Amino acid sequence: MRVIRRYEYLVVKLLAVYKIYSKGKRCMIDIRHITKTYGKKKNVFTALKDINLQIKEGTSVAILGKSGSGKSTLMHAISGLDKPQQGEVLVGDKDILRLKPRATDKFRAREMGFIFQSFFVEGGETCYDNVSLALETAGVPRAGRKQRIIEALEAVDLGDKIKSRAKDLSGGQKQRLAVARAIVGRPKILFADEPTGNLDSTTSQVIEDLLFGYCKETEATLIIVTHDEDLAKRCQRIIYIKDGEVEKDSMSSRPVKSAKPSATKSPKKTTDKKTRSNTPARRAK
Amino acid sequence: MKTVDIIQRAGRNLRRAKMRTFLTSVAIAIGGFAIMASLMVGEGARQYVDRIIKSNLDPNALMIAKDKRVTSAQVNGGGEDGLTEYNPNSMTRNGRDYETLTTKDIEVLRKRNDIKQVEPSYQVQPKYITFSQSKKKKYVGQVMMRDNTLQMEVAAGKSVASGDALANGEAIIPEIYAEKLGKSAQEMVGSKLNLVVTQQPQQASAATIQQVYATKGDAGVQELLKGKTLSKPFTIVAVAKKSPDQISSPSSVYINAHDAKNLSEFSTVGTSAHRKYFYVLATVKHGTPEEVRDRLNGSGYHAATAQDIQGVIFTFINILQGIVLGFGLLALVVSVFGIINTMYISVLERTQQIGLMKALGASRRDIGRLFRYEAAWVGFLGGAFGVLSAWGIGTLINPSISKSLGLGDNSLLIFQPGVGATVVLALVLVAIVAGWLPSRKAAKLDPVEALRTE
Ligand SMILES: Nc1ncnc2c1ncn2[C@@H]1O[C@H](COP(=O)(O)OP(=O)(O)OP(=O)(O)O)[C@@H](O)[C@H]1O
Ligand SMILES: [Mg+2]
Repeated sequence: MRVIRRYEYLVVKLLAVYKIYSKGKRCMIDIRHITKTYGKKKNVFTALKDINLQIKEGTSVAILGKSGSGKSTLMHAISGLDKPQQGEVLVGDKDILRLKPRATDKFRAREMGFIFQSFFVEGGETCYDNVSLALETAGVPRAGRKQRIIEALEAVDLGDKIKSRAKDLSGGQKQRLAVARAIVGRPKILFADEPTGNLDSTTSQVIEDLLFGYCKETEATLIIVTHDEDLAKRCQRIIYIKDGEVEKDSMSSRPVKSAKPSATKSPKKTTDKKTRSNTPARRAK
Repeated sequence: MKTVDIIQRAGRNLRRAKMRTFLTSVAIAIGGFAIMASLMVGEGARQYVDRIIKSNLDPNALMIAKDKRVTSAQVNGGGEDGLTEYNPNSMTRNGRDYETLTTKDIEVLRKRNDIKQVEPSYQVQPKYITFSQSKKKKYVGQVMMRDNTLQMEVAAGKSVASGDALANGEAIIPEIYAEKLGKSAQEMVGSKLNLVVTQQPQQASAATIQQVYATKGDAGVQELLKGKTLSKPFTIVAVAKKSPDQISSPSSVYINAHDAKNLSEFSTVGTSAHRKYFYVLATVKHGTPEEVRDRLNGSGYHAATAQDIQGVIFTFINILQGIVLGFGLLALVVSVFGIINTMYISVLERTQQIGLMKALGASRRDIGRLFRYEAAWVGFLGGAFGVLSAWGIGTLINPSISKSLGLGDNSLLIFQPGVGATVVLALVLVAIVAGWLPSRKAAKLDPVEALRTE
C-alpha cells in the first residue's frame, strides 16, 4: 500500500500540471449502429452487431466480456483504427469513420492515447524516444517536447530511466512506459486493452492508479477493455459484451451492485489479488 | 510527423540493425565506387588529352584529306571493306584503300587565300639509319616531318620554340635514341646520322638494257634493275626530351619538310604512293578554323580542325569510360534488389512497430516516409563510402599509375568534389526508388492486423 500511495502522490502532482494545460474540450462519444463483419459470403463472421452506446466525456468505462466476444474490435472501431462496415462514431462533433484517413490519424494522435496488453514499447529505443513518438505523431514542436516527456516519465516513476533502452525494463516498467507514452500527449480519451493482463497484482494496481489518476485529474474519458472484474468495478460504468452485442450496461457510477457474477465470465468471482495475477494464464491466446 | 523526426527515427532504426545496414550499403558502395572511379578516370584522361592537344596542336591548324576516314581517325581500323573499286588516286594502308591527295590538289590548296603553309604529310620510311656515334650498326627507326608550329622540349642542343624551322640537313632525335646508343644527349648533338632510303627497281626499255650491257656488262644491268639506294646525311642539332605532354612522344627523327619531301619522292618513284598524300597540314589565314573547314568540305575535301581531332580522341575516351560506368551501373542494379529484399524483410519484422505508430496517429505517409528515409540513409552511407574510397584509393595509386603509364605530373584519376556529391545524391535517389515498394507495403499495413501479431 505504501508503494501505491507513492504513486498516487506522483500522479496527483503531475496531473496538477496537466490540468493547467488541458482546455476542457468536450468529447462525448456517440456510437451508432456499429456493425463489423469479417470474411466473405459463406464465411461471414459478425464480430460486432449493431452496437449503440453513448459515453459521456470524463467517465471511466470498462468493456467486459469473454475472449473473442468482440471487445478489442469495438475498441478499434471507436478509435478509428478499424473501419466497421456500418454505423458511425461521433466524437464531439466529428464522425471519425467518415473523416479522411489523415484527419482520423491526426485526431487519434492528438486526442487519444493507447495502452496494450503486450506493452508494444520499442525495445531498441530509449524510454525518452518511446514517449517522444506520441508527441512526434501529434506534431508537437521539438522545443516543447523535452519538458513534457520528462514530466510524463517522472509521473510513472521512470524519471531515472530516461536514457535506458526499453528492452532493459521489467514488464511493469514497460507498461508504465506505455502509460507515459499514452498520456504525454494529454489525450481526451484513453484506451486501454487489457492493460494489466500481463502484470502481477501489485504492478497492476500501480498501472490502474496511474490510469484512473490521469483521467480524474484531466477529466479524460477512460475506456478499459478487460476480463478482470475487479478492474472493471473501479470504473464508473461497465459494458458487458457477448458475441458482438451489448449484453448488459451498468450506468451506475460505482458498480458495486452490478458486480454480481457476469454471464460472460467464469462465475467464480473473487477479490483475491493472487487470482487476479493469474488472469493472463487463463486467457486463451 | 515532422521530416526531421522521421529522419532521426530512420537513422536510429538503422543504427540498431548495424550489420544489416552495413551489408546493404556495401552493395551500393561497390556500385558507387565503380561509377566514381570511371568518372575520375574519364576526367583524368580528358584533362590529360586536353593538355596534350593544347601543347601539340596549333588551334589554327587544319588537317585536310581527300578521304573522310583519314580525318575521322579511322586510319588504323581493320580492312573490312573487302573488294573496292580501283582508284588511281588511292593508296593502301593496313589493308584499306584510301583516296589520297595528289600534287594537283596541293597546288589547288596552295592557291587558296584562306589557308597558308600548306604542307603535305611526306611519308619517309627509311630502310635503316646509321649514326656517326655508333659506326658499326644499322638501326631501324621512324622519321617524321617537323610541325613548325609546335614547341619541343629539348634535353640538349638548340632550343626549338614554336615557329622554329629546321634547316635543310638538320635533324632532331629523341632522347630514347641517345639512351639506346649509350650516349648522353650532349654527345649526340653535333654528330651525324644517315637516313638510308631505297627506290624500287625502275622499268627499263630493252634498248636501255642493251646499252648498259654493252658498256658495263652483266653487273651494269643488274645494277640498273636492282633499284637505287640513297643515303642522306643529317646533322643532329637537338635531342628532344621525353615529355608526357608530347602527343607523339618523341620516338622518331624529325627533319624539315624539304628533306622529307626529297626522301619521300625518291623512295616512292614508280610506286602507287608517288606524290600522293594521306593528308596535308595547313594553317588558317582568314576566318575561324570552322569556317575554313566548312568551305574546304564544300569543295571536295575533308578537313578537320584541331578541335575536331580532339573530339575524336574524346569519343574514344568516352567509350572506355562508358564500359567502366556500365560495370558500376550493373553493380547498382544488383544493390537495388539487395535493398528491396532487405527492406521487405525489415517491414515484415517490424509489423508491430508499424502498427503501433499507426495507432499513435502516424499517417500512411509518415510510415512510407520512415522506410524511404531508411533506404535513403542506406544509399547515403553506401554512396559516401563508395565515393570516398574511390577518392582515397585514387589519391593513393595515382603516383604509381602516372609512373607506369609515363604521364609525368599528370594524374589519371581526378576527383571532383562536385561530381562526388552528385554521385552520392544520385545513389540516395536510387536507394529511395528501391525502397519505394517495401515502404508502400509498410504504409498499407493494417494497424489492427499489425497489433494482433505478437
Ligand atoms: N481479421 C479477422 N478475421 C476474422 N475474424 C476475426 C478477425 N479479427 C477478429 N476476428 C474475430 O472477431 C471476434 C472478436 O475478436 P476480438 O479480438 O475483438 O475479441 P476480444 O473480445 O478482444 O477477445 P480477447 O479477450 O481474447 O482479446 C473473434 O471471434 C475473432 O475470431
Ligand atoms: Mg482483445
